[in-house]
Amino acid sequence: MMTTVHFFDSPHEIYWGLLIAVYFYYTGMSAGSFILTSLGTVFGIEKYKKVSKVGVIMAIVLLLFAPLHLLLDLAQPGRALNLFTHVHLTSAMSWGVYLLILYPLCLMFYAWYLFRQDLVNGLNKGGFKASLYSFLLFGKKDMSETAKAHDKKQAKFFGTIGVPLALAVHGYTGFILGNVQARAIWHTPLMPIIFLMSAMVSGTGLFIIVLMLVEKFKFGRLNDDIKSLIADIANLMKWFIVVDGALMITYFIVLWNSTEAGYAAGYYLLHGEGWSFLGLENGLGMLVPLLILLSKKARQSLPAVVTASILTIIGVLAMRINLVIGGQKLPLTGSKIIEYVASGRDIGIVLGIAVVAAVVLSFLYAVLPMNRPGAQEMKSIPTTKGVAQ
Amino acid sequence: MGKRYAMVIDLRKCVGCHACTVACKSENNVPLGVNRSWVEELETGRFPNVSRHRLPRLCNHCENPSCLNVCPVKATYQLEDGTVLVDYDRCIGCGYCIAACPYDARFINPERKTAEKCTYCHERVAVGLLPACVNTCIGGARFFGDLNDPNSEVSKLLATEAVTVSKPETNNRPQTYYIGADEKALRPNLLKIVGGEK
Repeated sequence: MMTTVHFFDSPHEIYWGLLIAVYFYYTGMSAGSFILTSLGTVFGIEKYKKVSKVGVIMAIVLLLFAPLHLLLDLAQPGRALNLFTHVHLTSAMSWGVYLLILYPLCLMFYAWYLFRQDLVNGLNKGGFKASLYSFLLFGKKDMSETAKAHDKKQAKFFGTIGVPLALAVHGYTGFILGNVQARAIWHTPLMPIIFLMSAMVSGTGLFIIVLMLVEKFKFGRLNDDIKSLIADIANLMKWFIVVDGALMITYFIVLWNSTEAGYAAGYYLLHGEGWSFLGLENGLGMLVPLLILLSKKARQSLPAVVTASILTIIGVLAMRINLVIGGQKLPLTGSKIIEYVASGRDIGIVLGIAVVAAVVLSFLYAVLPMNRPGAQEMKSIPTTKGVAQ
Repeated sequence: MGKRYAMVIDLRKCVGCHACTVACKSENNVPLGVNRSWVEELETGRFPNVSRHRLPRLCNHCENPSCLNVCPVKATYQLEDGTVLVDYDRCIGCGYCIAACPYDARFINPERKTAEKCTYCHERVAVGLLPACVNTCIGGARFFGDLNDPNSEVSKLLATEAVTVSKPETNNRPQTYYIGADEKALRPNLLKIVGGEK
């Protein structure tokens, strides 16, 4: 064996850290939860219509807060407008700017048509809610059958545009990494698809938890109807995990058998990042929830489904971090793994945005009419357990 | 035909003095902790069969630069003479170019807060001077010139010497050519770095 000792090198650092990984994570969960809600309104699966409104609000809020991470990651955040004034079609990041505008806009139209009739019905409540609803309606208070049919048609229209946009808004993040030929760990056509599938997994995981909280606090309890729907969604999540897992295995096998850089990246994932890649991302985050959800009995048990959902949410976060940051730890020149420690500023930003997003989400669920087929909101909403209302 | 600038580095003449690194920092006001131009040094073998290698690194001013392709605001651009430059007033500091460059040639300037890298000392070249690193090289190992001029030093060296580039497998077509470079110095030994070398 030939020993090689580097004794002089220039230091390099990792510029895409926690904020970028978490941005990918948010857009993923937004896309995932939106696709779920579209099952009812766009694909016509009646039972999912009950949860369309919960999902679309979640998708919008996640997507509104996601780009904040990007903005705060820029070395020159004040110049973010340059992204709009200088389009560059070879850069996946440039595509993303437009998707990040179009997608939430489309979702807002979609949500407006989903909510319109309930907003009109809520006008008689008086107080803050009525004024809010009145503002949100922009004067469109028509409740004739034609108007209702129009709502349904428009919701389907914007939902139908929303589905490819959701796929694109998360798929493009896969292209951001996949297009970088310098890094074997990223450079695979599977990257956008892996990102999409893991987005479906984590989006479904978070959706289940949010749905339970909304049902509990808006309707007082989870009725059998919703419980059986959650079991159905858990079943979907099982299949998302199966596909995501199959993609990860495919990705890894080909990485392992590719160039020296690819093999080294695979070796690093197994050994250097083993606890996070095998343990957190694929073990705890994928295999364990899959095993839980394989059992029909577990899918009908709320604690089991919640456990599986939380595990997938953690697992996919680990996946984003392992890929985004792990991909830059392998050096392109020199002789050392590039270490990364998230700065206090970045951790603070991530936690801060998460808290504000959760508050905004809770506020929207509290003030918006979440009535759904088969359930009316309670007259008084429980104010315990610190949920905003 | 216009100019196409390139650099040839004859490692047989490089003594590893790092004068190029220092000249670059001084000429271009490069802050501490980051480098536009630097020299990797390594030793190979086991006593008594040993050798030392040096590899001066800088931006390769690639024919097809990854950094340029990924820039979302077209802040990175290429002159007709091949020089790849960054518009410091337009760069938003997203770091995509840094992630995409196969040669670690870029960094965020901690003072200016934009992406930055070697410019082939564009301001010097524009007035007929050589890049600072070439000008200062004590062994005369660095050559800079126009590949489209058959009488330039770089053209003659490329025609008469065996040259290599770093990571030719990328589609970047790098334009820094090395004479006498050891393969072990041209790319990191990733397998060893990740602990997988038997």
